Amino acid sequence: MTDVYNAYLTSTGRFLPGPPINNDQIEDHLGRVHGKPSRLKAKILASNGIKTRHYAIDKLQQTQYLNCDMGANAARDCLQRCGLRVSEIEMLAAATSQGDLVLPGFGSMLQAAMELPDIELLTAHGICSSSLMALKSAANAIRLGEHSKALVVASEFASRLFKASRYEALDKHYGQDFNAEFLRWMLSDGAGAVLLENAPRGRCLQIEWIKSFSHADAFPVCMSVGQAKDGRQSWQDYPSYAEAEAAGALLLRQDVRLLDNMVKLGVDGFLRLLASELVTVSSIDHVLCHYSSDFFRSKIFDLLSAAGAMVPEERWYTNLYERGNTGCASIFIMLDEFLRSRKPAPGEKVFCMVPESGRFNTAYMLLNVVDANA
Amino acid sequence: MHKTMDNAEAQQCLQSLMRVWFDFERRLNRVPIIQRLENGEFTQQDYLSLLLNLRQQVIEGSRWITRSASSFDRHYSEIRSQVINHAKDEHRDYLLLEQDFVALGGDLAAIQAGARNIGSEALHGYLMYRASRPNPVDMIGAMWMIEGLGEKMASNWADRIDELIALGGEKTCFLRYHGHNDASHLETFCHMLDSVCRESTTHRAIVKTAQVVARLYCMQLDEIDG
Repeated sequence: MTDVYNAYLTSTGRFLPGPPINNDQIEDHLGRVHGKPSRLKAKILASNGIKTRHYAIDKLQQTQYLNCDMGANAARDCLQRCGLRVSEIEMLAAATSQGDLVLPGFGSMLQAAMELPDIELLTAHGICSSSLMALKSAANAIRLGEHSKALVVASEFASRLFKASRYEALDKHYGQDFNAEFLRWMLSDGAGAVLLENAPRGRCLQIEWIKSFSHADAFPVCMSVGQAKDGRQSWQDYPSYAEAEAAGALLLRQDVRLLDNMVKLGVDGFLRLLASELVTVSSIDHVLCHYSSDFFRSKIFDLLSAAGAMVPEERWYTNLYERGNTGCASIFIMLDEFLRSRKPAPGEKVFCMVPESGRFNTAYMLLNVVDANA
Repeated sequence: MHKTMDNAEAQQCLQSLMRVWFDFERRLNRVPIIQRLENGEFTQQDYLSLLLNLRQQVIEGSRWITRSASSFDRHYSEIRSQVINHAKDEHRDYLLLEQDFVALGGDLAAIQAGARNIGSEALHGYLMYRASRPNPVDMIGAMWMIEGLGEKMASNWADRIDELIALGGEKTCFLRYHGHNDASHLETFCHMLDSVCRESTTHRAIVKTAQVVARLYCMQLDEIDG
């Protein structure tokens, strides 16, 4: 019989490119479409509540850091904090919504950027929840005893999709498209990393479980790149990429009509975990929830309260408003700052929740604060 | 809405009912006609078929509710009042449905002469059978689903149908009719659940009835393409 080990999250790191950018400065970085300020920006920002964020492009929309470089910087921060050398890493699990290249996998580019020799590699491709998918695979490799040290890195470079020139490339008859602008004022860049080990190190987090529930079979696509508004065909089905771009098939789009489902499915998954006794409401000391905008925070609270399953509001932690929504990197960036600023005590439980709107995947993780020296 | 329930069994039951509802929404989205609605391929013919098929169950809708009301004895007078209120909302809504059908160009004689499809038959039969039993507290589960459907039709399907086949809101009166969209409705429901659901057997019965209604309702919509 194979032994099953515990997996511990023993270090975290992050990288946020450049200075914090406030709401008035956003368009200086992303550019003004045809030189005009956006008419939707104020409304969308008021709803998501984000005050500052970071961009890996400069004011001329030139790339300052590749996605893999941001990931590598976060990983180095993570390793530095616990004094580990890169040569000690046995596995790299990487997550992103969009790498610098279409192929090969993001993990390969990240591995090269970090100069990590001889590792086992995994690239999890998806949107916000892909970081927890990568984390689960790495944690399982540790639990099975295949590896003793694994690095999980999540990195996002969304601002490339939001350059004014992307919208200027649309066919001149295209018209306004709220769904294609919605995320322009919500997503930003950054990377987070976590180290997993088979033994605790100082004050760290034991992974109790990671679970996810995907509902792509029951819902249309809600967040996408690769198909035009009302379009069925893939960007690759156009005769040329230029035509795909002109048709709006390369814009990052959110079908806002479907967003309420994300709240319901997020709560549904939580009720499912309660029913299967994987967690109890009263045992949760801290909630780290990747809600994409402030608008959804109150909706989640309402639904949880109606169910009688609300974790008191003071136990919810987020850094969304200062660090921005960095897609799959958000949960790691949140975890990193939470551990540094809140210093949770041994015995406390940290519940993480990442609902992804792409085609509705919700991921959850329960962590137990432990102390190796206790 | 934020009021916590007094008894834990009722609170557990509400959580179970919420899960049944969320599962039902996913099941509905897998039914071909609703899949077309969600994917944006829903046509005027689809809408006519939807109304035609719904009408045969809707016209009987108030019967199972009034039957339930009459099956409660004096020990359940509070819940009986709630059920009677519910029946008042329902008992002539099929007239709106027929108006929408005719406004769309459908033939009134055809919809009035329509027969229940297999799913409607099963749903109606099941509801009447459960409602006829003494003190059928499990009908709370059926009411949960039917009220939820009213909300969903009003807040979700009606707008989507208007958006896809440009009806301007005038031919979706039936779908919009049951949208209460207020917290007091849920509060009333929770109060009823709180007073009735005190044992796990009651909890299980309520949830089971909700689940059966969910399945049979999907069957009813499945049969539109059947």
